[in-house]
Amino acid sequence: MHWRCAVVKLLLALCVLAVVPANAAQLQFDQTDLTPAERAASASLLKEALHRLPPRWRQTLDARLQLRWSDDLPSDVHGRTQAGRISLRRDLLRQLPHQSLEDTPALRALLHELAHVYDRSPQGGLSHNPHLLDLAGWQQRPLHFGRRSAHNPFTGRSPDEYELTNPREYVAVNLEWFLLDPEYACRRPALARLFAAHFNWQPAAAACAPGLVFMRAEGRTGQLEQLDPKRVYAVDYLLAEGNAAPMSRWGHSMLRLVICAPGRAPGPDCRLDLQYHRVLSFRAFVEDVQISSLRGLTGRYPSRLFLLPLDQVIDEYTKTELRGLQSLPLRMTQEEISALLTRAAQLHWSYDGRYYFVSNNCAVETWKLLHDALPRYARAHLRSVFPRRLLRRLARAGLVETAVLEDRAAAVRQGYYFEPMDAHYQALFTVAHEVLRLPQVRVEEWLALSPMQRAPWLGRGDLRATAALLVLEEAAQRRAELRARDVLKRRLLDARVDDGARTQVRSVLAKTALLMWPASLDGGGYGLPQQERAVLEAQARALAGQTETAWAELWEQAQAALPAREQVQLAGVTQNLEVLGARLRVLADKPQ
Amino acid sequence: MRHVLIVAALLILSAPVVASSFASSASSAGSATSGSTSGDDKVVLQARSDAAGFVASAGQIRSARLEAALRLLRERSVDARRASDMQLAQAILAR
Repeated sequence: MHWRCAVVKLLLALCVLAVVPANAAQLQFDQTDLTPAERAASASLLKEALHRLPPRWRQTLDARLQLRWSDDLPSDVHGRTQAGRISLRRDLLRQLPHQSLEDTPALRALLHELAHVYDRSPQGGLSHNPHLLDLAGWQQRPLHFGRRSAHNPFTGRSPDEYELTNPREYVAVNLEWFLLDPEYACRRPALARLFAAHFNWQPAAAACAPGLVFMRAEGRTGQLEQLDPKRVYAVDYLLAEGNAAPMSRWGHSMLRLVICAPGRAPGPDCRLDLQYHRVLSFRAFVEDVQISSLRGLTGRYPSRLFLLPLDQVIDEYTKTELRGLQSLPLRMTQEEISALLTRAAQLHWSYDGRYYFVSNNCAVETWKLLHDALPRYARAHLRSVFPRRLLRRLARAGLVETAVLEDRAAAVRQGYYFEPMDAHYQALFTVAHEVLRLPQVRVEEWLALSPMQRAPWLGRGDLRATAALLVLEEAAQRRAELRARDVLKRRLLDARVDDGARTQVRSVLAKTALLMWPASLDGGGYGLPQQERAVLEAQARALAGQTETAWAELWEQAQAALPAREQVQLAGVTQNLEVLGARLRVLADKPQ
Repeated sequence: MRHVLIVAALLILSAPVVASSFASSASSAGSATSGSTSGDDKVVLQARSDAAGFVASAGQIRSARLEAALRLLRERSVDARRASDMQLAQAILAR
């Protein structure tokens, strides 16, 4: 529902004067001009509202608080609190007899105004609570001495966008929902916990849908994935090391969720359940065929939180980009892990940030996630715009275990360090070189050969040499794929050719963008999805089906457009891999 | 820091059709398992390159993926529990 209330900053008089505690019975609406029926309706409305308030809140009510029905509020305003007087729109009173009191605009409006009154009382002050501001989305900024941003980017799946106006309205709107919606604790769990702790009181609550759901980012299938925080044994700071490419120089910050395989009790053994591990990664979603640094500097790209399989992340970094991954356990209690995942889900469904290469990059987003979810991390002064510096600060604060990297071989074996694939290329090549007396000495010379030039050597090695050549041929395949991809991209960007294809790519990207912003799905509800999960998933799957068809068409065209040289190379490598695979099966099958 | 890859991934890699063309290292390196692969089989399949590195380096290159696959094989079969790491790595290559 969308309605507006205007709050005029008042007199601090209410705060300064000693509060005269109200006996609930003493408060009443101004009776002037009310019919007996209206008086009765006003009284039961007030009674209902007071009955809903937590005791601590009710006790702060001042007996001198005036309530009245008003004809002179602006047309879009339901209520207003000014100088110790709450005015509600008289239209709401006229609707009252026709509605049950449970959830009427009048009850909402009254609770909203009472929330403003409470917030301004000495006991209130929720709209200045730093943790509430973190959770709500008036986040601290990495630069500007950590001042809070004026803009709230948590625009997705809001119950009432009026909450985004400022922290005071946010508190009033959210207290309304906290008091009236039994699902509030399911949909905005962190805020519900904060309110419940503040009032030392819980409203009636509904049972929540199980776990936390995320839209799967991989494969664009439109499937939802459900996470159970209790199955998460640990959270690691996952750092992709930098490389020479300008966009990757500083590395990339992510979080790895060490999720236990079904049936395995949470414990150190879960560290090797790699296939179940997930990664929380902030990525700029680029809706165009070319990345533009200028747009990155001016915040034109959305920054979103994605949940990815660890396996995919390992492949992308260590195989495709040849970058190492450090995975360092963060010190977190089970309760903190749960708070972190809840926050991550909230970001996933609501956060529409802007990606800035310097002031809002992956390190900043990861810092904010830790800072906003976990008060203990918020106190640790972690603020940084560089992934490695964030790691150093975590280490200085004793929040991360860096000792796991000291023994490199053990770290690789236990999954604390994932080596870039090229770390051993030369050593592997030397094995093959010695067995087969290959004319090349450096692995780069070998990989620079055409697949056809390598082919004659592939069927002659022993088990070790063949295994080495297999690893190297896979490297050659990835290189050929990257080259082909680069050729296609250049063609697409070449203004002289393929204008149709470019338009087509842009249109498919625009559709894909919807899948990458789950809040754009229309399933009803707000905050973390509950019973609307199935509706959201059905919509996402339909959308995914459409984009998949479009991608498939595009892909066919792209393959046909690939120059003959690239096609021959790719086919050659594929054939080499088949030869090596077949030989390896024969050699490995023999007892050694 | 990730955006370049997102573009690339969107352009090429993630369409399923691609799996049968460019990104075919797993299948072309030869997997004896056909049809539907369970999650467990996927672990063993994915460890193929890691097993090749292990065998080629006479046990020097030893990744977490290989460890995970070895553990899985041993959890599933008594024979595997009696076998050495090298024998199991070879068994992965022989599949």
